[in-house]
Amino acid sequence: MKGLDLRICHLYPELMNIYGDRGNVIALVRRCAWRGIEVTVGALSLGDPLDPGRYDLYFIGGGQDREQMLVCEDLSTEKGEALREAVEGGAALLSICGGYQLLGKSFLTWTGEYLPGISLFDVETVGGDTRFIGNVAVRCELEGAEGVLVGFENHSGRTRLGPGCRPLGRVLSGHGNNGEDGTEGCVYRKAVGTYLHGSLLPKNPRLADWLILNALRRRHDLEGLPPLDDSLEQAAHGAALALVRRERRLPARAARKRSP
Amino acid sequence: MELRLAAAVAAGKATTWASRRLGLGAGSNFPGKVMLRLHPRAPEEMAARLPRGCVLVSGTNGKTTTSNLLAAMLREGGMSPVHNRVGANLVTGITAALAQASDLAGNPRGDIGLFEVDEATLPAAVTRLRPRLVIITNLFRDQLDRYGELETLARKMDGALGTLSPDAKVLLNADDPLVASLGKESPASLYYYGIECEEVTEASLRHAADSKHCRTCRTALSFSAHYFGHMGKYFCPRCGSSRPETHFSAVRVRPRGTAGSEVSLSTPRWEADLDLGLPGIYNVHNLLAAAGGACLLGLGREEVTRGVAGYATAFGRGERIPVDGRELFLVLSKNPTGFNEVIRTLKGEGTGLVVLAALNDRIADGRDVSWIWDVDFEELAPLPRHLVATGTRAYDMALRMKYAGLDPSRLEVHGDLKGALRAALERAREGETVYALTTYTATLDLRRLLSRLGAAPALWEGN
Repeated sequence: MKGLDLRICHLYPELMNIYGDRGNVIALVRRCAWRGIEVTVGALSLGDPLDPGRYDLYFIGGGQDREQMLVCEDLSTEKGEALREAVEGGAALLSICGGYQLLGKSFLTWTGEYLPGISLFDVETVGGDTRFIGNVAVRCELEGAEGVLVGFENHSGRTRLGPGCRPLGRVLSGHGNNGEDGTEGCVYRKAVGTYLHGSLLPKNPRLADWLILNALRRRHDLEGLPPLDDSLEQAAHGAALALVRRERRLPARAARKRSP
Repeated sequence: MELRLAAAVAAGKATTWASRRLGLGAGSNFPGKVMLRLHPRAPEEMAARLPRGCVLVSGTNGKTTTSNLLAAMLREGGMSPVHNRVGANLVTGITAALAQASDLAGNPRGDIGLFEVDEATLPAAVTRLRPRLVIITNLFRDQLDRYGELETLARKMDGALGTLSPDAKVLLNADDPLVASLGKESPASLYYYGIECEEVTEASLRHAADSKHCRTCRTALSFSAHYFGHMGKYFCPRCGSSRPETHFSAVRVRPRGTAGSEVSLSTPRWEADLDLGLPGIYNVHNLLAAAGGACLLGLGREEVTRGVAGYATAFGRGERIPVDGRELFLVLSKNPTGFNEVIRTLKGEGTGLVVLAALNDRIADGRDVSWIWDVDFEELAPLPRHLVATGTRAYDMALRMKYAGLDPSRLEVHGDLKGALRAALERAREGETVYALTTYTATLDLRRLLSRLGAAPALWEGN
């Protein structure tokens, strides 16, 4: 794919990098490189200005409470506004766990701290007294990336979606957004929020490619991406799904059936 | 009460014996469970009978090596430590170790308790065992799904240290900003150890580094020297808090690859040049923790030096085991920092290596394997001519290596450990080393497999 280039922005890589979320950036970079797409990764941290026209694809991972508060403060400036503008302008975005929460409208922690979000996603999060921890399988409803996502969740926040965004998928096994309504993650334009660690993208290459394709389309005109040899990715995905089934005694068919 | 303790001890001994006979493993946790059910205060009562009291070693990495080194030094000093040696460090493991080292009435045959305790178990262990010395090695992101976040953990550990008696001592790693910040509210006296020579520094902080911010004011710390992970010399540019002065330090370190390091040790009373047979800078920290602990327990230069010289490798922490005319170099690699240090050591072994990487996701390993994406496997990728991935999450391991840049033609996946070991040995030439990097329960599995094959002594036969 000569002549194509992708500019990735890794937001707060040293602060929001819990549970191996940087693996998502590794996956994006490799999958571009294997296709001959020129890829650059810029890191933006506290105090660095964000130029909404600069990047095609943004990534923000999860973080611990302390780090999350620093980032919340930093995003409350014009930087949060610029990130929203970037997504409105066609950039793709992936946010995980703590990063996902900060891009919503607000996060009220279990200890009573109120963290305002940047309202990119129409979601609100409230901290709970227990953590949702475990392997997860989700039926992904994202157009062009349908299928089952596998990952690992570890969060106490309960996130509820408003009318301004739709869920990333429906939980087949695990808790997802709040453990009650069966939704997991959210999607607004080409921006995705989710609770899934794992890292998420290496074992879910269709979602990785969806992000790459949509990010490339911001500045390039193209139909699709040439396929890669994903046999190892599929084997790892299959092994993770088999694990979820064993844990939850999920019938093998349920994972393939369309949700109502 | 006496009878109840005796019954619990008898049950503990019997279950330990039975689980060894049945080949269920070293029998370290289950017997403790049985005992605590029979007599919940069994550990308190047995610990109170140790004339020289108890020492606890806690932290993410290095507990086993530190306590084994310290045990070797204590023995040189004529003491007889009761020690949970096989790394079973929950309250159940400690209880079982006490029973194993006691007569049937519950009187310990040793005179000092030396227990490694899981960071999350520290509060319970402090309450139950009333230690005279607590050593904390480091705090890294390890199994966050089990322990919660580091700050929460640090607060709990602070709470535990706050309940120590005023004549107790706490020995902390000064090079770890989070550990060095602990115990400020504790009535016990605080002591610190650290590395004081800067030749061993790394160019920049790796992403696996965890505590890079000042715990008081949250400002990013400045590092003037950096050893590995977030270990180094640091200060806070805003509030001025900085690395404490060390009482026990390595003033010179000369690394010798997988063979170990030469370390010049300095204490308030004496100095010594030691030949440490354990590889990696992280083992220099373990040595400092053990030597500092020994000094705080009243031992001198002779005991420390002889203890280090006579030290036998902690289980799975760099053992070399001959198998089939090849040598298996067995290294426990259970979290990002540990793995990065192992990779740094392997880089001294050249390229064209045969590597066996075993990733498990059992409870003791942490169910979440996301952490492998925090390891710098990109630095390992150029080293193997062949890598066999195995364990309950074998495919995750293989996928990580593919994305780290290892050519898939050099990658092989074997879900079952025996097949994986055979495949790795077949790839190695006569006399060559196979590097086995294994998570905690995978190390146990591999040890068990090797002893079944007659290649290694069973765990409980001791190191």
